[in-house]
Amino acid sequence: MAEKKQKVIPDEYIPEVRSRVATIDNQDYLLQNDAMFTFYERSMGELSPFFLAIKDEKRILGCRCPKCGIVRVPPMVTHCPDCDFAATELLEVEQVGKMNTTPPITYFATSMFMDKAPFGRGRVILTGADTALSVMLYTTTGILVPGLIRKGTEVKVIFRDQRVGQISDIYCVPTNELTPAQITKKGLQETELNWEAPKEPEFPKPSNEDVTVYRQSLGEMQALAVEMSRSKRARKAIEGWKRDIAVKTKGGEFAMYIDDGDFKIEEKKLKSPDFIMACEDPRTLLDGLMYKGAITDSVIMKKLWISKNLEFNTIFKLDRLARFLAREKKEQAVE
Amino acid sequence: MAKKVGIVGAGVTPFKGKWYEKTYYELAQMATREAVKDAGMPIQDIDAVFYGIYNDIFERTCIPEHPLQGIIGMQNKFGIRVSCGGATGAYTMSAAHAYLAGERFKTALVLGVEKATDCFDFSSMSATPEVIKTIGWSGDSFFEQKIGWSASDSYAEVVLGYMDEYPGTLKPEVTAQISSQLSKQVRNNPYAQRQLDQVTPEEVMNSRYIVYPFKELEICVYTEGAAALILAEEETAKAIAKNTGKPIVWMTGLGEANEHSFAGKNQKNMSHIVSDYLGSHRAYEMAGIKDPIKAIDIVELHDAFVHQFEISLAEFGLVPYESVDSLIEDGIMLPGGRLLVNPCGGLIYCGHAVGASNIMSAWSARNELIKRKLKRALVHGTGSTVAQYTACSILEHE
Repeated sequence: MAEKKQKVIPDEYIPEVRSRVATIDNQDYLLQNDAMFTFYERSMGELSPFFLAIKDEKRILGCRCPKCGIVRVPPMVTHCPDCDFAATELLEVEQVGKMNTTPPITYFATSMFMDKAPFGRGRVILTGADTALSVMLYTTTGILVPGLIRKGTEVKVIFRDQRVGQISDIYCVPTNELTPAQITKKGLQETELNWEAPKEPEFPKPSNEDVTVYRQSLGEMQALAVEMSRSKRARKAIEGWKRDIAVKTKGGEFAMYIDDGDFKIEEKKLKSPDFIMACEDPRTLLDGLMYKGAITDSVIMKKLWISKNLEFNTIFKLDRLARFLAREKKEQAVE
Repeated sequence: MAKKVGIVGAGVTPFKGKWYEKTYYELAQMATREAVKDAGMPIQDIDAVFYGIYNDIFERTCIPEHPLQGIIGMQNKFGIRVSCGGATGAYTMSAAHAYLAGERFKTALVLGVEKATDCFDFSSMSATPEVIKTIGWSGDSFFEQKIGWSASDSYAEVVLGYMDEYPGTLKPEVTAQISSQLSKQVRNNPYAQRQLDQVTPEEVMNSRYIVYPFKELEICVYTEGAAALILAEEETAKAIAKNTGKPIVWMTGLGEANEHSFAGKNQKNMSHIVSDYLGSHRAYEMAGIKDPIKAIDIVELHDAFVHQFEISLAEFGLVPYESVDSLIEDGIMLPGGRLLVNPCGGLIYCGHAVGASNIMSAWSARNELIKRKLKRALVHGTGSTVAQYTACSILEHE
C-alpha cells in the first residue's frame, strides 16, 4: 500500500515523439503523439496547516465558525460564508467517523489511478465535524465489494507511512476490521494493519464431469478466439496490447495469448505468464467471452481470481473484446 | 419587459466516437453551415456567437474558441465562450437568450463543439482512461483529484445517497430497461454515435461495472461532434420564419442553479440533485408553468448516467421521488406513455460531445416538437462534481 517515490509524471505514461497514419475510406489522416504539460510549485496557502498537520503530526484539522458553530473538515474557509464572513478558527477533530452516504467503488479508473483500483471514495463526517471529508476507502480483506461500506459505517483514518503533505497521505478502512487498540490510537499507520495477502485459490481434484466441462468449454473458447481474431471491431479492443495469461480451472489449465489484435487460446502450461487467472468453473470465463456476463464482475464477486490487481486492465479489455464481437454481429444482422 | 427569443435554425454534425477525418475547427464550421442553412440566412446576418466548449485540454488549446471566430465567418463580431462542465451547452443557450432578450443583439449563433478522444493513454493503448483522466482535472484540486475523483464516481455518490434515502428505488432491472428503451429510440437518429447499438435489458444487466453502481451500458459515451442553434429576438425571428416557412420554437423559460461542491451541514445534500430541482422550477416559473406533468410533452434530458436520469426526472417534478421506477413499471416513458424522454437516444446512445451535447438535445427537442406537433419541451444540462450545476430551458412550439 506504500506510495512509491516517483516523478511528477511517471516515465511509463510518456510516449515517444512519433506519428502514424490512420486510413479511413482510402484517405490518410496523420495522428501525432503529443502532450500538454505544465509543472507547478504550488502553494497550499491558507490550507497549509491542514496538510502540514497530516504530514508531520498525523492530525486532522478543521475550522470552526464562532457564530454558527459549524466545524468544517477540511478547513476550506478562513471566514464563514454563512455568517457575514466571520473569521473561523482551526481545531483538531477525531480520526474516527461515519460515512455520510454509501460510497461508490471505482473498478475502471482513469489512467493515473489504474494501479490503485478497485478503490472506494466517499465522504466521512469525522467525530467533532459537521461537514464531510472526501477520502479513499479500502478494506484489509482484499477487493472492495459493494455492501462492505455503507451510509453510517464507522471508519478510521489511516496514515500512509510515507507522507508528502497531500490528501492522498490518508485513507479510511472500516473500524470493524481493526482491534479496539487500533481504533483508539491516533495517527494509525498502514503498516500497523493486518493486510490479507492475495493467495491463489486451490481447487479440489477434478471429477470426470469437471474434466468433460473443461474440455467442452476450452473448445468453445478456442472457437470464439478464432472469431474474435477475425473481427475487425473486436481486434480494436486489444490493439497494441500483449499478454500471456495462464488460466487455471478445476478441470485443467490452459494459456491465453493477447497480441496486438490477435487472440489465441491453447492447452498449455505457461512457465512465466504475465499473470494468472484462476476460476474453479471454466464456464465463468466462457460466459464472459460469450458476452453473457462480465468477466470484471466475476473478479469482483470472487468467482475469478487474478494474481495482479493491475491486470484489471486486461480483464476490461477481454470484456470489451466480447462486447465488440457481439456488437459487430448485431450490426451485420441489421445491415 | 424582456424580448421574446426563439430558435429559427439548428444543425448538428454526426456524433462519433472518434473523428479521424476532422479537427474541431472543421466540426465547428460543419454545424454552423448546417444551422445557417436551416435558418435560410448568411452567416453575415448573425450578430453574435456564443461558444459552448467544456474542456481546454480536450481541444489541446487554452482559449480554444479564438481560431473559430474567423473559421465560422464571425470576425469582428461579439464572441464569448461559456464553460460550465457537463452543463456547458445548456448554460450557453441561457447566456445567448439573455443577450437577445436584453436587446443587445437581434440574432445569435449558439455553437457547441468538443473533440474528446484525441486524448490517448499510451500505457493501456486506449483512449478512455485518458479521456476520464482529462475530465478528472475538473475535480477539486486540493482535496479530491489526488484520491481518484472522476465524473462517474462523483455522480455515483449522489445516486447512492438517493438510494440511501429512498431504498428500493433505482432497481437494476429498471435502470437496465431504461437503457434498453433509449437504445431503441436512438434507432431514429441518424446522427447518433450508437444508432445501431440496440441492447436488451439482459445485456445491460450483464455489462461490467465501471464504477459501482454504474454498469457500462448505463453510462454516456465520449463523443466528438458539434451542434449549433440560430436564435433571434421576436421580430427578427418572425421575419426569418416567414422566409423559411419553418415554425419558430420559442424559449419561454430558463432556470439555472449551482450547488455547493462539498457535502455536509449547510453544504451539498448528497441525497438529491437540488440544482435540478431549482433549475427546472425556475424555468417553469418563467414560462408560467404551474403543473409540469400536464405542461411538458418532451424532455431532452442530460443522461450522464441512467440512475441520474431517473433522479433528474423526479427533481423536475415529473415523477415521485419514492416511486421513480414507475417510469418503467407504470410505463410512463415507454411507447404510449405520458412522457417522451430523450427521443434522440440521449447522451448514452447519441453520445456526449460535452460542449455540444445539450445543444444537440435542443436540436432534437425542436425537431420533435415540430414533427409530432407537440406544445412544450424541457431541455436540461447537468455538470460539474456531484451533479452540482444545472441549466434548463423550456421550448414552446408556436
